[in-house]
Amino acid sequence: MKPLILTLKKQIKFRLDASFLTTNKIKNFNEFKSLKIAYGKRQCKLTDLFSVRGEDIKNIILKSSTSRIDNIGLKMKNMNITIFGNAGNSVGREMSSGTLKLYGNSLDYTGAGITGGSIFVYGNAGKFLCGKPIGKNEGILDGLIYVNGSVGNHSVQRMRRGIVVINGNLGNYCCNDMISGSIIVKGKIGKNFCDRIKRGTIITTQRKPVLKYLSTNSSEINFFKFYIKQLSGLIGKKIFSDKFKLQRFHGSEDNENLSEVFLVKQ
Amino acid sequence: MIYRGLKIDNTFAEAFNMKASRIIVTADNKKWAKNACLSFTGFATSVIACGVEAGIEKELSPNITPDGRPGYSVLLFSMSRSELEKQVETRVGQCILTCPTTAVFSGIESDDVIPLGKNLRYFGDGYQISKKINGKRYWRIPVMDGEFLCEETTSRVSAIGGGNFLVLAKNRKSCLLACETAVDSLKNLSNVITPFPGGVVRSGSKVGSKYKSLIASTNDAFCPTLRGLTKSNIAKTVDCVMEIVINGLTADDISNATKIAIDSIARSKIKKDIVTISAGNYGGKLGQHHFHLRKIMK
Repeated sequence: MKPLILTLKKQIKFRLDASFLTTNKIKNFNEFKSLKIAYGKRQCKLTDLFSVRGEDIKNIILKSSTSRIDNIGLKMKNMNITIFGNAGNSVGREMSSGTLKLYGNSLDYTGAGITGGSIFVYGNAGKFLCGKPIGKNEGILDGLIYVNGSVGNHSVQRMRRGIVVINGNLGNYCCNDMISGSIIVKGKIGKNFCDRIKRGTIITTQRKPVLKYLSTNSSEINFFKFYIKQLSGLIGKKIFSDKFKLQRFHGSEDNENLSEVFLVKQ
Repeated sequence: MIYRGLKIDNTFAEAFNMKASRIIVTADNKKWAKNACLSFTGFATSVIACGVEAGIEKELSPNITPDGRPGYSVLLFSMSRSELEKQVETRVGQCILTCPTTAVFSGIESDDVIPLGKNLRYFGDGYQISKKINGKRYWRIPVMDGEFLCEETTSRVSAIGGGNFLVLAKNRKSCLLACETAVDSLKNLSNVITPFPGGVVRSGSKVGSKYKSLIASTNDAFCPTLRGLTKSNIAKTVDCVMEIVINGLTADDISNATKIAIDSIARSKIKKDIVTISAGNYGGKLGQHHFHLRKIMK
């Protein structure tokens, strides 16, 4: 089946809730085409705003997207969504499986409360990436998030499990209250990073996060190589070049910090 | 039937349904990966007393292995799921965890999952770290040379054990040389192992014994020293018989391996001293799979 291609016909004035893409109970293409969606103060047909091609409602391509479209991939399950253009708030919020690719920038709360699946943002992401959704106590429960650009403040809150890879810079107050999981940051890291961290793995090229840590050994290189090789395969791009120096640091048990930091020097 | 000048008996090998699993062992270099595998597959020749039949399947280059280091894949065969589960855990714990620089991964996927490092992680005494990548969980257990990395589970699949053929030769030297040639031809062949020492068995067995406590005893029909004393299956010119047992994941894998192995003997100079190629069976009543030599060599 050909993927369903939705192309925005014209620039939209109001914010659009795109959760209808994932939270509907529609089983076939004809029902999908006749959907009515909320836009501004009124309801309109899907075809009034989008030109619709293709038929596979589990494999959607959204073209000419703008940052006024929110909730793309909300609670997504066993679906693939590819977005060309920017996206609004809550991209892939609380998704549980599938792949969401965004060839543009996103606003806040991207991947908030994600419990599985993969999100690839090939631009920048706003604040609260993998943040706690309203009413939830944990940010990211599982899954893979890759951001090619930079990420805003207060991101990766209360991470429980999963992998976050950030190719650019990370804002302030990020990775706070981290319980477990892995975060890889290749760029600069803002202030108040990893406050109140309990466990988890941080892989960074910056020396700043390791100041509070104890130096251990660097002989775990076989795990690190394995991890980076597997992640590079998932992302489809080499995270680090083949030649690097590695140092491992560990939090002390006294302050209940059992996390570890891999410092990569390329 | 004469195949490239080699006589093939009109008989068949009788094989059984088994359960199998594959693991991948890697290390900093080939030497230590092999040390771990040799230890892991030690005392794993026959399910009669070892619980499991295991062997090195093939060598893996660094670009194939999960962690980019040299390694080997190992196949294990057992008659029951619980025995396979027990043997995998025990052997990984005693032979791979203990071997310097090694890591162990699952080498096969199916819905039937058995533990690999799931319980071994407690060796970490609370300092073990788990990492989940693409739905698979891995354990990092701190050890004195750094960390032991192992996948949490591996899988179990249906397989076949006991595929075999017998080399009947004029003398022991030629028989051994022919068997070595055959075993060498199976090196790096996927999905099959030859679990016995060097891949060759000299003590082929029959079911039962005159002693009530034994379930298997010497295959007197193929013992040259008993020719004349018992109902012998070997000609007067035969002075030595050796067996190559092949376990495989499917019947096709065993047939293919048997063909390659016999073909390698037929192509070697040693074939002039080989009287015939035969196979071991129990009359066709016990095993679920029959490998007819002449059909395979057609």
